Amino acid sequence: MEYVYSILILVGIYVVLASSFNLIIGTAGLVSIAHPIFFALGAYTSGLLAIHFGLNPIAGTLAGAAVAGVFSLMISLPSLRVSGDYLLITSIGFQLGLLQVIKNLELTGSQGGLSNIPTPIAGPERGWIFSLVALAAGAATVLLIRWIVRGPYGRAISAMRDDELAFVALGRDATRIKIVIFAVGSALAGIAGGIYAFYFQYLSPEQFEILASGTMLTMVVVGGMGSTWGPVVGAVLLLALPQAITFLRLPLSYMAPLQGMIFTLLVILFLFLRPQGLVAPEAPAPLRHKKQ
Amino acid sequence: MSFKRRDVLKAAAAGALAAGLPLPLRAQGAGNLRFGLAMPLTGSQSAYGKDQVTGAQWAVEDINAKGGVQGRKLEMIVLDTQADPQVGINAVNRLISVEKVPVFITAWSAVVKAVAPIANREKVLELSVGASSPDVATLGDYVYTTFPLADVDVTAVARYAYQKLGKKTAAVLYINNDTGVDAAKVYREAFEKAGGKVTVYEAYDPKATDYSGMLLKLRASNAEMVHIHGLITDIPQVIAQMRQLGLKQRVSTYSAGYNPIIVKQLGAAAEGLIVTSLAPGANDRPQVKAYIERWRSKEGRVPNGLPYTQYLYDAPVMVAQMYDWLLKQKLAVNGENMRKALLGVKRFELPMTGVTEVDATHRVKKPVYLLTVEKGNFVPLATVS
Amino acid sequence: MFDPAVLAQILWTGLATSSYMVLFTIAFSLVLKVMKLWNFAQAGMMAIAFYAMYAAVNRFAWPTAAAVVFGLAVTLAATLAFEIWGLRTLRARRSSSLLFFIFTLVCSEFAAYVLTLVFGTEPVTLFPEILSPVRVIGQIAVSDWDLLGVGVTLALGIALALYLRFSRDGQFVLAVSDNAELAELYGIDAKRVYLVAFSIATVFVCAGMYLYGSRTAVIPTAPLQLMLFAVIATLLGGMGSVLGGALAAVGLSLLQSYSVLFIPSQWQGLILYVFLFVTILFFPGGVRRGFKAA
Repeated sequence: MEYVYSILILVGIYVVLASSFNLIIGTAGLVSIAHPIFFALGAYTSGLLAIHFGLNPIAGTLAGAAVAGVFSLMISLPSLRVSGDYLLITSIGFQLGLLQVIKNLELTGSQGGLSNIPTPIAGPERGWIFSLVALAAGAATVLLIRWIVRGPYGRAISAMRDDELAFVALGRDATRIKIVIFAVGSALAGIAGGIYAFYFQYLSPEQFEILASGTMLTMVVVGGMGSTWGPVVGAVLLLALPQAITFLRLPLSYMAPLQGMIFTLLVILFLFLRPQGLVAPEAPAPLRHKKQ
Repeated sequence: MSFKRRDVLKAAAAGALAAGLPLPLRAQGAGNLRFGLAMPLTGSQSAYGKDQVTGAQWAVEDINAKGGVQGRKLEMIVLDTQADPQVGINAVNRLISVEKVPVFITAWSAVVKAVAPIANREKVLELSVGASSPDVATLGDYVYTTFPLADVDVTAVARYAYQKLGKKTAAVLYINNDTGVDAAKVYREAFEKAGGKVTVYEAYDPKATDYSGMLLKLRASNAEMVHIHGLITDIPQVIAQMRQLGLKQRVSTYSAGYNPIIVKQLGAAAEGLIVTSLAPGANDRPQVKAYIERWRSKEGRVPNGLPYTQYLYDAPVMVAQMYDWLLKQKLAVNGENMRKALLGVKRFELPMTGVTEVDATHRVKKPVYLLTVEKGNFVPLATVS
Repeated sequence: MFDPAVLAQILWTGLATSSYMVLFTIAFSLVLKVMKLWNFAQAGMMAIAFYAMYAAVNRFAWPTAAAVVFGLAVTLAATLAFEIWGLRTLRARRSSSLLFFIFTLVCSEFAAYVLTLVFGTEPVTLFPEILSPVRVIGQIAVSDWDLLGVGVTLALGIALALYLRFSRDGQFVLAVSDNAELAELYGIDAKRVYLVAFSIATVFVCAGMYLYGSRTAVIPTAPLQLMLFAVIATLLGGMGSVLGGALAAVGLSLLQSYSVLFIPSQWQGLILYVFLFVTILFFPGGVRRGFKAA
């Protein structure tokens, strides 16, 4: 049962991550792939606060979200000056740079990771309580983002994404939107981080490397960038798929690379056969970004 | 063993839930005495993980062939961890909640640490066999190591350098991850306690390939002994660059260096290298000689990380002895009682590694075997208890 | 510690070790310049190049020259297939940079998985021995590998510069980098130029992996890290400048080598990212352009 719970919890966490990522790159068109680092910031912050100050998980998670939101300024500010490909590379640099710091600080457990994060709940209820929390967080995130996108603010965001020059010429403030979107998206990732930290009680910096970015990106793109339910579909699919492959009864030595091959091959097929993703965006504007 | 060279391309999501299929060594029927084994069967550490699993499997076969434990067969359930914490967590969750084992064996520091909270929470005994990080001793009530932690062999090799080789000054070059950082501290403490002085104490990035800056600092310091604590992927490179820069000091390292690849890659530059081994060699124990022969005849080669496979052979033997105690005491089979059994037996006579004593310190003390490279081969140098 | 012999040694060894980084950066930079593509599939190219040469030397027991040719051939085939069936399609659809990023990254991942399947994950070097003969010149230790590295890099770099400047094809390449649509109007086949650019990149990648792999052990996922360095150097050197990228690669390597004299070695890895960040914030066009503008 524990096994099933941990999968449900991961689903919840990744729905939060994929949806918030989608808000940044799909809805707002801000090409940053540094999402895992905000996940990390939330996780490490709440974990450290719990270990050193005994802070309860809810406060800790909120603190983690706040930290992630504040750090997001380090991406949103450069994004005001650069865009497109350039922002992509900046975000990579930011993510890896911050990870390097985490890997070298004894405070964060350096390369060995942060372990012994105290758990707020012990006993048999742990599994289903955390599952509920994670899934609820996922649902809440999706609904929150849907609400943002459907409202007038959402239209402003789309307008900015589609033609920033015109947007600014009309007197709207693109800067503020970018900063807010990054902050909201990153804070949500921070919340996912808090949930992860308290359930798994162990964090390793390797989990937040470029490949984590690739995974989250794939969830968003395969699910359907710019749509509300797309990231949810993407998250569930990309968590369930490796499990499904396990049942193919491949020889164990080859399991991991074969799994990886099937996985990446499927992504490639998707990119070619259905680039708009599984769930088409509901927004009236077509999801075709002009190459900048 | 705490190889940290992680397979970056584990594809976070793909890897996260890929805990392969359980491989039970099912000797028919219920009433089997079950335990888990969580090892890297795939991924960058699989060459070592698979050989360790083989060692354990042979032990189970051998025990069952002799009638098992009080007539009941041992059953080992093997799951893949890829030496990755997330995959390891998944594997252990399965072992505990699906397979319901009271005790499991695992290795690789990152995994050992990641699953420790689960073991403590669920009160299932975790035996760490091979991870050397000193942290392992403080991971909780249900985590015990049967393998000596870094302080044992590093202390031995540091003292040997001062006391037997007469080196008064030493340099410590270590990889910047927790294996290296912890071990470097141990070396410095031991060397200075013995009376020497560590004049160079430098970390290098796991991804570095050019060590010249660090080595030139070494050259300027005239340290007499150099201890390198890294991985099999960088130790040869550091030594190679040392020799190319004209540095002729004798080099010591730990058990990761006890690998024929080093001699192949370095050629003559490997001469004099001192390595440690925490398991007796063929000349020290006849069972080990037979074991190596078994590898040669069945697999046509020597196992990767021979000493570690020895410990993995002994691990099911320990579990068998624990079950024996448990059954004699007529206690229920669960993690709590397994832990009692571990501390109850306390002193285990094991075929491949000799005597192992477990106590409340969560550590074990074993003799350290020092070897050196002479004419392209590893030959015994000394044994330190 | 600041003894001239030490400084000179670090300079020499740093330069020599920067050789493969320069080669990887030139490859990355060229593709970016010509095709406006951040080619994250280069990691895959690098992995394929290495393992092809490794197989030729160690499994087929071919002489080194044949192995290098084999490596070039296999990598070229893979790269051109990638361009023709992959990138062309995405380009025709006017896909976004994110899509290109995912595609190129996933191709690298795929290549790494295939290579893991075939070769396992044991770290291997191109040749069994990693030491090369050393001679002492002045007070500096100079190894054969050092000389090979510097020599190959200079030779290929100069060859590329001459090619771009003086050959007709080279001029076409420059034209397309400048303005692909305009070049097409003049009858230059942009598609062919892209193939040429990738072919050149392949040569540089193979040379770089030869140098790297004869000195350090490689696992299928190692190229990803190496490539990140090339990405940063490209950015620092200015996105339209291959020479800028090459110089940045040398500069960063030397910075990392010398830094050990000033900062604890564990922070060496961070330097790269600090530089990246500072550059993005203050010199969005690359350091050279920044200085020119100032």
